[in-house]
Amino acid sequence: MQVEKFSYDNLVVKQFAIATLFWGVIGMLVGLTIALQLYIPELNFGIPYLTFGRLRPLHTNAVIFAFVGNMIFAGIYYSVQRVCKTRMISDFLSKFHFWGWQFIIVAAAITLPLGFTTSKEYAELEWPIDIMIAVVWLAFGYNLIATIVKRREKHMYVALWFYIATFVTITVLHVVNSLEIPAGILKSYPIFAGVQDALVQWWYAHNAVAFFLTTPFLGLMYYFLPKAANRPVYSYRLSILHFWALIFLYIWAGPHHLLYTALPDWAQSLGTVFSIMLIAPSWGGMLNGLLTLRGAWDRVRDNPILKFMVVAVTAYGMSTFEGPMLSLKSVNAITHYTDWTIGHAHLGALGWNGLLTFGILYWLIPVMWKTELYSKKLANVHFWISTLGIVFYSIPLYWAGLTQSLMWKQFTELGVLQYPNFLETVLQIIPMYILRSVGGFLFIAGIFLCVYNLVKTAKKGSFEKNEEAEAAPLIKEADKLKRGMIHRWLEKRPIKFALLATVVILIGGLVELIPTYLVKSNIPTIESVKPYTPLELHGRDIYIREGCNTCHSQMVRPFRSETERYGEYSKAGEFVYDHPFLWGSKRTGPDLHRQGGKYSNVWHYLHFEDPRQMSPGSIMPPYPWLLTNSLDTSSTSAKINAMRTIGVPYGEEYENFANKDLMNQANAIADDLLNNGIPADPDKDVIALIAYLQRLGTDIKGNKK
Amino acid sequence: MKINKYFFYIATALLLFSFHTQLFAAGDDALDNVMKTMLIATIIVIGIVLWLAVIYSEKNDIDGQTFKAPLIKFRQWLTKSTPVEREQEILLSHDYDGIKELDNRIPPWFSALFYGTIIWGIIYLMVFHVFDSGSVQEKEYLAEVQQANFEKQILIKSGVFINEETVTASNDPAVLNEGKEIYTKNCLACHGQDGGGLVGPNLTDEFWIHGGGIKNIFKVIKYGVPQKGMISWQTQLDPNKMKAVGSYILTFQGTKPANGKQPEGEKWTESN
Repeated sequence: MQVEKFSYDNLVVKQFAIATLFWGVIGMLVGLTIALQLYIPELNFGIPYLTFGRLRPLHTNAVIFAFVGNMIFAGIYYSVQRVCKTRMISDFLSKFHFWGWQFIIVAAAITLPLGFTTSKEYAELEWPIDIMIAVVWLAFGYNLIATIVKRREKHMYVALWFYIATFVTITVLHVVNSLEIPAGILKSYPIFAGVQDALVQWWYAHNAVAFFLTTPFLGLMYYFLPKAANRPVYSYRLSILHFWALIFLYIWAGPHHLLYTALPDWAQSLGTVFSIMLIAPSWGGMLNGLLTLRGAWDRVRDNPILKFMVVAVTAYGMSTFEGPMLSLKSVNAITHYTDWTIGHAHLGALGWNGLLTFGILYWLIPVMWKTELYSKKLANVHFWISTLGIVFYSIPLYWAGLTQSLMWKQFTELGVLQYPNFLETVLQIIPMYILRSVGGFLFIAGIFLCVYNLVKTAKKGSFEKNEEAEAAPLIKEADKLKRGMIHRWLEKRPIKFALLATVVILIGGLVELIPTYLVKSNIPTIESVKPYTPLELHGRDIYIREGCNTCHSQMVRPFRSETERYGEYSKAGEFVYDHPFLWGSKRTGPDLHRQGGKYSNVWHYLHFEDPRQMSPGSIMPPYPWLLTNSLDTSSTSAKINAMRTIGVPYGEEYENFANKDLMNQANAIADDLLNNGIPADPDKDVIALIAYLQRLGTDIKGNKK
Repeated sequence: MKINKYFFYIATALLLFSFHTQLFAAGDDALDNVMKTMLIATIIVIGIVLWLAVIYSEKNDIDGQTFKAPLIKFRQWLTKSTPVEREQEILLSHDYDGIKELDNRIPPWFSALFYGTIIWGIIYLMVFHVFDSGSVQEKEYLAEVQQANFEKQILIKSGVFINEETVTASNDPAVLNEGKEIYTKNCLACHGQDGGGLVGPNLTDEFWIHGGGIKNIFKVIKYGVPQKGMISWQTQLDPNKMKAVGSYILTFQGTKPANGKQPEGEKWTESN
């Protein structure tokens, strides 16, 4: 048979690999900064753009979409060409993808500190950037699928299955979770509200973990681990079983982020049971990874690449066991809103994504530069320092989470909260925060070693943009679907495969989202709940801009320890005008859902000026700029119009006199401040924010038992 | 023999451990401890015996006939894995850029876990949403609150729970000290270090907005005055603590701090 000559595009792989390390360093340094801010709040230097609330989304976006994202693309572009025995179908699309993705990252790095955010975790970017993401992602998807279609290899290797599932699912997730109505160039409101918005958001965020941090990395593992170990994959049939089970089951588990919230019970239970069912399919990936090393374990001892991969796969196995355990309601009641969650996320992110990334890069760079790794010893040091870093990171946070949660729940013998002052429970775990930042520092020190080692490696080798290759063309042959060979048949048909994967991942989402949207009894109406006034709406947007939701939840769970501390537990019907929902996922500070009327306006004013005036020792940073920034009332009518479009019942033409209502309410607050000895202008940001906080949770206060 | 020596050490340690747990003390608690200790000791002994068996088999039973064979068989039963030496038999013809694939059977323990969790999931959904026999969160919450109220009623009946009717001011230095601590932690931000008032009113003069005297002070602390920004403390401080801090506040009377706020409210005399 005639063999065809062609070349692999290594340039795009190189570019993505460099971007991986570059953004990895940046993203982790931002992470270290906010870890330090938790016990040294002054580290924001009094600059609004550097506060925890604004940097935290920058950190998560940078490590997920920039560090891990660029690694995924580097690995995909390298492995897809090789297991398909063809060059990517379009060099232009590869380039467009690379530069488009970097542009999006830069746009994120600028807009997030400026306070342009949707507040939805891992989807904080505003609507123009959302559109850019969609365009670049579809370009990548077309490039990927079209390349697979014109491959020279008869069947698709398991890595490709995972890449295809990644592409179709992220497309669906991104589109649905970004359905929002613009209210300005960089401002939008999601079309869903309250409970529905929460469910859509966590369906998205959970599956961003599943289909951005997990499936593409499993694909990379299936290519790079057998390559590095030079051993056959342990079990082909296990690959099939765990692939389909994983993508089908993962989609359902989103509600486990909302246990004991106002989400309907049935949806919570689905989240729990599907999380438990996920243990085995997740472990299928771990087994196939670890058991592929059978007969090569002696090499793990002196090969740093394999060491990284083994610990990465083990960390994957541990966090995919931990996750389901945290989804059990009785465990979740203790761990949710605490630092345990952060520890869990970092075991996965640093262990699985981080270490596998390093393992792959240590293998890939010498191969592409046709040389040996510059220093095996340095790579070994990196391995130990980062493994130690993970231990120092996660264990203190597990400890902190458990300690704080037990303090929140502790009653005295007389039936009163033992630690009624929230701050007391925060100060208790500061030593753990310090240890955690040491762990983070070690991990970052490691990545610097990695950069040095790889740069030195590249310098002594020579890089070739186009790597020559040859393969026989694919001859189309008629084949029938035979019993026992169904999957083999499917592996020859990428389009059918992609469609089937789409159907499989849609089921879980549809079953959970549609009833929550359509069935009235899921969100019982509460008559007294009314839309926010214009001033409160502005205040809410300031709350979002400053990222208050990164540290404060707005969801009182139905536990006695919470209703005693905060007030009546939160009801689904209270959130019907909350576009977006602001339930939060972590309580670094206390819950705010019943904040309205709890403290005086003066208290809030002084607390924003400097929290330590009112709560000595508080780790919340001061927000003096709220006291001096003037509220932008020119956007009021656009906001009211946008809200009305998505179903908030503001009267016809209300946008025209909304600002009059706004000024009346602002003046009333300013008067009250003045009466208490604080002269303040009514047109400042802080007035709007106080108005919002005083409204929070008061709609049903009259009905309280 | 080395192993005998280790065994001796472990036995000694166990013996010391059982003395430590007051094996011979009387009473139900002690009996409970004895049971627990015995259980732990039994598990440890079983573990040691198994471990010794494995060690022994490795030393004296190279073919693994006596001890290791059942273990290997058990492992084989759990994993159904084809040994590395015979992997040619299950090597598939797949070759992707040099990557080959074996076709090992799905490990039975894996299948058990997979199908086991699915069955568990079905049972879970049945229990909570079909037969309604588990408590969903609202039911769970109501039960928790009911239990707490029940316990509180008992406390009130026993007289431990003082209220605004029965409270009396205390001069006990220990109580006042406790009151000072509570004041510093919770009240200082609004009423000032010396009670001279900041956001909140001056507590040192004889003018009171809501009435003076321990009973009124207790009441204000307990229920708060929400419209004026004074929060209710009854879920955060138990009655004894409210009494302590109330008593401490009364010690401010007549101190005249340097930057005290203007008097507010009406003059209070005990006869009112």
